[in-house]
Amino acid sequence: MKLKKSKEADTEYIAVSSQNKKYKIINPFSENIKINSKKVDIKIFDDENGFTYILYKRKKYLVEIVEKSQNKYTVLINGVSYTFSIETPISYKRKKYLDKNKLKSKIELIGAPMPGKIVDILIDSGAKVKEGEAVLILEAMKMQNEIIAPVSGIVKKIFVRREDIVNKEDVLVEIEKQKS
Amino acid sequence: MKIKSLLIANRGEITIRICRTAKKLGIKTYGIKTSKEPNAYYLTFLDEIIDFSDSLEDIPEFLDVERIVYAAKTHKINAIHPGYGFLAESPYFAQRCEEEGIIFIGPSPQSIYKMGNKTIAKQIANSQKVPLLKGSHGNLSSPKETREIAGKIGYPVILKAAAGGGGRGMRIVEKSSQIEKMYKLASTEAEKAFNDSSVFIEKYVRNPKHIEFQIIGDKHGNIIHLGERECSVQRKHQKLIEESPSPALDENLRKTMGDAAINIAMATKYYSAGTVEFLLDDDNKFYFMEMNTRIQVEHSVSEEITGLDIIELQIKIAQGEELEIKQKDIKMKGWAIECRINAEDVQAGFSPYLGLIDKVQYPRSKNIRIDTGITDSSVVTPYFDSMIAKLIVHGENREKAISNSLNALNKFWIKGIKTTIPFCKSVLMHKKFKSGDFNTSFIEKEMRLLYHQDKDDEMLAAYLATFDFAAALETDRTTHIDFEQGKNISPWVLNKRLRSL
Repeated sequence: MKLKKSKEADTEYIAVSSQNKKYKIINPFSENIKINSKKVDIKIFDDENGFTYILYKRKKYLVEIVEKSQNKYTVLINGVSYTFSIETPISYKRKKYLDKNKLKSKIELIGAPMPGKIVDILIDSGAKVKEGEAVLILEAMKMQNEIIAPVSGIVKKIFVRREDIVNKEDVLVEIEKQKS
Repeated sequence: MKIKSLLIANRGEITIRICRTAKKLGIKTYGIKTSKEPNAYYLTFLDEIIDFSDSLEDIPEFLDVERIVYAAKTHKINAIHPGYGFLAESPYFAQRCEEEGIIFIGPSPQSIYKMGNKTIAKQIANSQKVPLLKGSHGNLSSPKETREIAGKIGYPVILKAAAGGGGRGMRIVEKSSQIEKMYKLASTEAEKAFNDSSVFIEKYVRNPKHIEFQIIGDKHGNIIHLGERECSVQRKHQKLIEESPSPALDENLRKTMGDAAINIAMATKYYSAGTVEFLLDDDNKFYFMEMNTRIQVEHSVSEEITGLDIIELQIKIAQGEELEIKQKDIKMKGWAIECRINAEDVQAGFSPYLGLIDKVQYPRSKNIRIDTGITDSSVVTPYFDSMIAKLIVHGENREKAISNSLNALNKFWIKGIKTTIPFCKSVLMHKKFKSGDFNTSFIEKEMRLLYHQDKDDEMLAAYLATFDFAAALETDRTTHIDFEQGKNISPWVLNKRLRSL
């Protein structure tokens, strides 16, 4: 059985950046790519050395997909990363609906900004912290880094102990937001 | 004594750099392999590898004085070059080498001790009438004492580790209420990094320029300088871009500061390579900060403008040879800029970016020098410094050196990890940097965005992600059979397959 190429209708996608910027991309595979209603000429190449680059307006851009999970993507363009979720027109409508009805969480989790070792804990569970106050000291690559509370509130839980080794994005502290 | 064999007690790019000179001089090189990076690139440059993989000690391999000395003895190695690590500034290590009849490539243990102790170093500078900042002129015993002295000098003050360097154990104190906390932070950090918790304070100069002089001296009392380096592009006291000469100096100031640097070195009967660091304030007044008694990361920019091989000079001096060049022979030709390529995520506050480097491709040109410690499939581990390579670019003048550097950075491709390349681009394109009028607050105060972004970058990123996502959807629709069984397949291969359906 021969499979039919779906050529007739335009295929449309919406790439939504982490800052909520939208790119409407039509027919990404075709010769007739449109981004935000403008026709663009973009080509993707794999070179013989194993690099992938985009050729656009006669300039080369080194590109790499570093992470994908379902429709969430993190890609690098010339070493700078961008995060997008890719939506079809239908899923985009759904996303908009969900975003609007999302419950505003009162809980703020502080994650480790880098892998390292907890060398000091400056607060106790139940304590009040102010935004900008240091809560932990994380040692990484021989430097001591202060971990700062991003919001004012009450320390609900401390997930680490002194001398613990943590990975990037491990949850360290849970804070319940309070109006300062 | 002629050095015939050399143990390089270091890793990464500096080991490769030292190997290059050793080969030129016909010296056999030995190096150390650790279990932390058994397949490291530097190992391929050595003539002989000494395996420390079985080390069960708590001390990191490259700090294990006794084992390194023992290894040199059992392999009958003439000399040890410590690179720019901790051992390079350990008077104890230099002393142990001397005791065992091994040539230590560096200054005498006495010089290392005196200049390494910041309090003594200041006294020496003072005796040579080199300007100093107001400070405690000695180690502090408590936060209370710190507060008293700080009150006399006037805020802001800076707490520094007496045995410190590289920004570790340094804290700026803006007001007296911060003293307790900052004292604790600085002294614990100093204890961790240098095994010595003593700290001192001095007046903190806001937004100074960081200017340093490369010194080279022999064992016969000859000392010259190879000009200055401008190292004001710093983040948290870590240098990121260095250049030589400095746009801030004219011939007069260069001579005055150069002479001051030589006088300090003379006062400790200094030999080998060293660096005298100064702060330069808004009124072009300079102050002695410290002396580093070792080869430095940024020595390469001085080499590029003077045409000298500093490692070669170090080795020859260690052999007892007299310097063939005099101060008047030193001519600074053109301009050189060094960009440090660190495995760091600039977008996440310069946090270390660990992992596998799939591919690396270097720019090539007559005016480009790359000192690298990595190759395809190298791994960035959490055990060592994040610097993976240095890009050193020369130009006939500063403007040319900047534009040549930018061209080189655009062709410096790395796949698999994030690096400081986008940061370096953004600095080199900055108006303030280009003007030459910048100081150590440049990154914090002047840079709006810490990485360079072309205006179309985000759109292209959106396209790339959409392309990959759509390709995956398309396969689902057209085939219904997952031939790849969920395996990650390149979207471009996929695209070709789709087109040929």
